[in-house]
This record gives sequence, C-alpha cells and structure tokens, in this order.
Amino acid sequence: MIRFRSVVSRIVALHIAAIVVASICMPMALYLMLRSAAGHLHERALREQAAEVSRHIRIGPDGRARLSLPTTLSEFYSGAYGRAAFSVLDTQGRVLFTSLPGGQAVAPLHPTGSPVEFFTLHRKGGDVAAATIAEEVGGRILYVQVSEDLAHRDVLIDDIVAQFFPKVGWITGPILLLLLLIDVVIFRRAMQPIVDASSLAEKIGPNRTGLRLPQASMPREVEPLVHAVNQALDRLEEGYLAQREFTADAAHELRTPLAILRTQVDMIDDRELAEALRNDVESMSRLVNQLLEMAELEAFVIGDDEIADLGAVASEIAAYIAPLALARGKTVAVTEPRRPVRVRGNSDALGRAVRNLVENALAHTAPDTSVEIVVDPSGALLVMDHGPGVPVAARDHIFRRFWRGDRRRSGSAGLGLAIVARIAEMHGATVTIGDRPGGGAVFTIRFPTLVSAPPAATAQLEPAA
Amino acid sequence: MRLLLVEDNERFAALLRRGLAAAGFVIDLLPTAEEAIAALRANRFEIVVLDLGLPDADGLEVLNDMRSRRDATPVLILTARGSLKDRITGLGSGADDYLVKPFALEELVARLRALLRRPGNLLGVALELGDVTLDTSARQVFVGGQPLFFSPREIAVLEHLLRRSGRVVSKGLLESNLYGLSQEIGSNAVEVYVHRLRKRLAEVGASVQIHTLRGVGYLIAEKR
Repeated sequence: MIRFRSVVSRIVALHIAAIVVASICMPMALYLMLRSAAGHLHERALREQAAEVSRHIRIGPDGRARLSLPTTLSEFYSGAYGRAAFSVLDTQGRVLFTSLPGGQAVAPLHPTGSPVEFFTLHRKGGDVAAATIAEEVGGRILYVQVSEDLAHRDVLIDDIVAQFFPKVGWITGPILLLLLLIDVVIFRRAMQPIVDASSLAEKIGPNRTGLRLPQASMPREVEPLVHAVNQALDRLEEGYLAQREFTADAAHELRTPLAILRTQVDMIDDRELAEALRNDVESMSRLVNQLLEMAELEAFVIGDDEIADLGAVASEIAAYIAPLALARGKTVAVTEPRRPVRVRGNSDALGRAVRNLVENALAHTAPDTSVEIVVDPSGALLVMDHGPGVPVAARDHIFRRFWRGDRRRSGSAGLGLAIVARIAEMHGATVTIGDRPGGGAVFTIRFPTLVSAPPAATAQLEPAA
Repeated sequence: MRLLLVEDNERFAALLRRGLAAAGFVIDLLPTAEEAIAALRANRFEIVVLDLGLPDADGLEVLNDMRSRRDATPVLILTARGSLKDRITGLGSGADDYLVKPFALEELVARLRALLRRPGNLLGVALELGDVTLDTSARQVFVGGQPLFFSPREIAVLEHLLRRSGRVVSKGLLESNLYGLSQEIGSNAVEVYVHRLRKRLAEVGASVQIHTLRGVGYLIAEKR
C-alpha cells in the first residue's frame, strides 16, 4: 500500500479516489433514475394508448364487440407506419381486433391474466415495448394489447436519457476537481502556521536555545504538540545553561584558590623553595585549565555562520605563546599564504587547538629549536617541531585523555592532545601525525572545506604583491 | 601611584595588597561593585584592578559605569573565566588589559606598569628595560647611562617594542605605526630597522635582545 508522508497529498489522493467513484456513480445513478422515469412515462403512454383503443370499442346489442377507430388512430396503427400495433383479445385469448396482418395478436395472452402487464418483445427489426391491459368495456373484460417499436420512438424523454452522458455527465468531473482544488488551498492555508513554525524550529540549536515555536497561531489540533515541543526545549535549555554555569562556577572555585596560592608563593623569600612551589602551582593550574577547557568544549557549539581565518589564528597563538617559547630558549615561527585561508569554525576553539599543539611541541623539543606553524592554502594547519617525533605505534592513542608517551616524565597532564582531537572533531576536521623530513613531528589539522572569501572585501586587503 | 583594587576574596586581596605595595603602589581595597562604583565616582585613581566575580554584581558593571561617565582610568581585569569570549567582552567594554587567574604577581605588576606607560599616562616619559632607557620626549636612547644614536624611525620601532616589552609586536603593527596608511613602504623596511637596532645594541653590549619570530613579529626582552 502506498503511504503518503504529506497530509496534503494524502487528502488529494483520497479526494481523487472519491472523485473517481463519485464521477462514475453519480451520473450512473442519475442515468438509472432518468431511465426508470422514462420507462414509467412509456408505460403511461402505452396504458393511455390502450385506454384510447378501448374507448372506441362498443358492445353491440348482439353482445359482440365492435371497433371503430378514428382515421388518425387507424393510420397510427397501420402496418405502413409500422411503429405501433394493437390487438384486442377476450378473456379466452381469442383475437377480436388487431392491426397486425394475419389476424395475430401482439403477443399471446399471459397465463396469469394479470390486469396490467408490460413486456418487451424481441423482434428481428429490434425490440418492441408492449403492454397488455385489461379494460372493462360494457361490462366485459377485454385485454387490449399495444406495442411500440423501440427503435423508432420519438419521445422527448428518450433523447434526454440518450444525451445525458455527453452533454451533462461531464460537468460533474470538473465540479469535483474544482472542489478538490479549493480543498487543497484551504488545507495549505491551514498548514501555513506549521510550515512557519518548522522554518523557525530549524534555527533552534545549542547556540540559539531561546527560540520557541509560536503557539497562538497554531490550529487547535496541533497546539498540544507545539506546546509539548516548547516544554521540551525549555528543559533542554535549562540543561545547557546548567552545563555552562557549572563550567563558569568551577572555573571560579578552582582558579581563585590557585591564584591565592600562586601569589603567596610569589612572596616567599626563599628563592629555591618558591621556584619549586611555583612549578607545582603551575602544573596544577595547567591541569585545572585543561579540565575546564575540556568541560567547556563539551557544551561548546560552533555557530552556523562562524568563519575562522587559519592565518590569523596561527599568528595570534604564535604571538601569545612566543614569550613562553623564548623563556625556554626556543622560538616559534609562522608560515602562511598571502591570501586568507578561511574555514567554517570558531577562531577561539581553533586557537586553543593550535596552542595545545604548540605547547606539546615545546614540551618535547630541545632548546635552540623552533616550532613552526604552517598554514596550507588547501585548508590545513600544520605544527612542526624538531623533537624526537611520535612513534608510529603511539599515534593511535596519543589523542586519548591522560595518555602519556613517557610514564616517568611528570608535568604534562596529557589532556592537551585530547582537547586538540575534540576541537578537530567539532569542526569535522582530522588530526594526523607524520614525520618531518630531517627529524621531528608534524601534526596536521585538515579541514574538509574552504570558505571562499567575499570578493570585494578581501581584494582590498590583499597586498599588492 | 594610587591604585583601586576591587576584589571580594579577603585572603587574595590581602596578598595582592602586600605584593602591589611592595611594587610601590598605594592601594585602596574595596570588596563590592557598589562600593567600587561609589569610590570611583568620588575619587581619582591612577589605575584600577577589577575582579569580575564580585558578590553583588558582575565586575563589568563597574567598568561600564566608568566608561559611561567618560572616565578613562586604565582598568585591568582579573578573571577566573578563561574563555576568549569573556576576554572579548571585557576588552570590548573598555578594559585595557586582563589577566586570567592564577597569574604571577610579577606579571600583574608588569602589566600595570605597561598600562601606566601608555601615551598620556604617568610613566610615559621614560621607557626602561634592563640597561636600556628610552626618553620618549627627548627621543634619546641610553644604554647603561651612555647615549646611543639612532634615527627617528629606529627610535620609533624601539619605542613600540619597549612599550610592549616581553610581548610580541607584529610586523604589520610596526609598519602601520611607522608609516601612514597612504605612504609607500618597502616590504623589508621594518626588518632593516630592527636589524640595525639589534646590531647596535649588541655592539654596545646591552642587556636586552630583540627576538625575531618569523611570520609572527618581534619581541624585546632582557637577555637570559
């Protein structure tokens, strides 16, 4: 069975079926009604003819019946005319009078001898409608039979019946179709609020949780559903807000004590002790930051229209991290194409990913080396170092949370690369690890698509190279 | 140097007060946004250190109140919220700088000094780093007290680097500050000035070093 997903097409289909049935049945019924009405009229005509004939029968004093038809009638029944015939029979079935040649009756008398009988005779020239009607003439019962050739009848009603279909019957179809059209229009108008609500609902997302479907304009039948959907959205929004609030609260609760601790350590006079404590506070802060970052990313959503320029992201992060790198005797460098490399995504989140990659590289490289960020015009961002590289066996699980290449080494919390993986996943991007020719690791974040720059705006920014 | 510290955590506030006092600041401490707004309306401070997580209101309300009164006193925001969105909100609403907790006291002092060094602010006359001093009004550079000759453009580059010492100054920023937008610039003009500055500073054995970060910019820092 065909199932229609659209209510409109379902209604149209059912309506068409109804139209087909109606446009067959209605004319048929009308035709049958007309035919039966025509039949009745025929019977009445035959009956009247019989009565007319019987009116001209006289019973003589000798008890014999005598028939004297006026000329008009005798012409009507004459054999030359051939359309109509009559015969008069007595109760025994003897033919008293007849218009037919050879003295025969129109039909043999029916044995039941019912007072009125209509029947059809099948003759060579075509069907003949006939009637046997008992008439009382001068106290005697006579059976008057009249017949009429159906092939030649000239009655108006027959024309009506015969022309009903071609002239009248077709009108029902268009009328019903027009009705269908009106129905569709009515239905579409009724559905419009739902269509509007649907396009509104499309805009609802984790970053636009405040939107609600309009309830007032809804048809009453749909309102409970809309109401329920809005309530579900309320609950979802609460959940999102709770998650965001948790991250903000946790940040405050964790960072303030750390700040106190850090400031206290800064004021310790014993330089050696202060330095050791500072390192501890710093690695703890780092872990707290990464945990919060991870939690924040769980509730983080990239807007549909957010676009990030990979070059800008790379420069910003490089500038941010350069003092740290220089403090460790290392440098950072950025190589980017002249034109912006734009991808769908959130610059803040992508910056965190790059920062974590660069921090990871700085943690694994020797002094006097540089970490390079390369923006590839095909939509990729590479972080390259001169460290020991990542063994092939470790490349699969290096992005797991708290995974550490070297168990004995302390400090690195092992969340950084998991954050990178999560951010890449959010952007539909892939992170791969490769070897750098001449030694070192290459981390590549590759984005699925580039966003073409708006022509006028960037043309002006483009330096004349 | 009168500084208003708006921070509700007593222990943290006490520690900051001690640390900042040791760095030469005179501190007024207030724990709520309401009191801070009232104090800022009645008094003049040279600089404000503002915590965002206050008990009665968001610290940004204090900032908004100041800026709506056209009070241009530099404001450094302390925040426990680390996301860049929060930073943008802070800077967009008129904050001059921010620090995410936890931070080094040294860093806070350095940032405050940098804010006060900005043009129009109190420490605008002499920029110092290590044994290098730049007298911004006389346009004269001293290394270890000895004057060193530089061209005006070289001094301009050095000034920008010193104003943001310890932080990266992008090549683009130097270019746009050295030349008007309409002026033609050689693509390596800044590189030439930086190269000359670096060479001269090294010749006289200055204790500072200009780092070049390819594709990123320049950074001046004391030698390690």
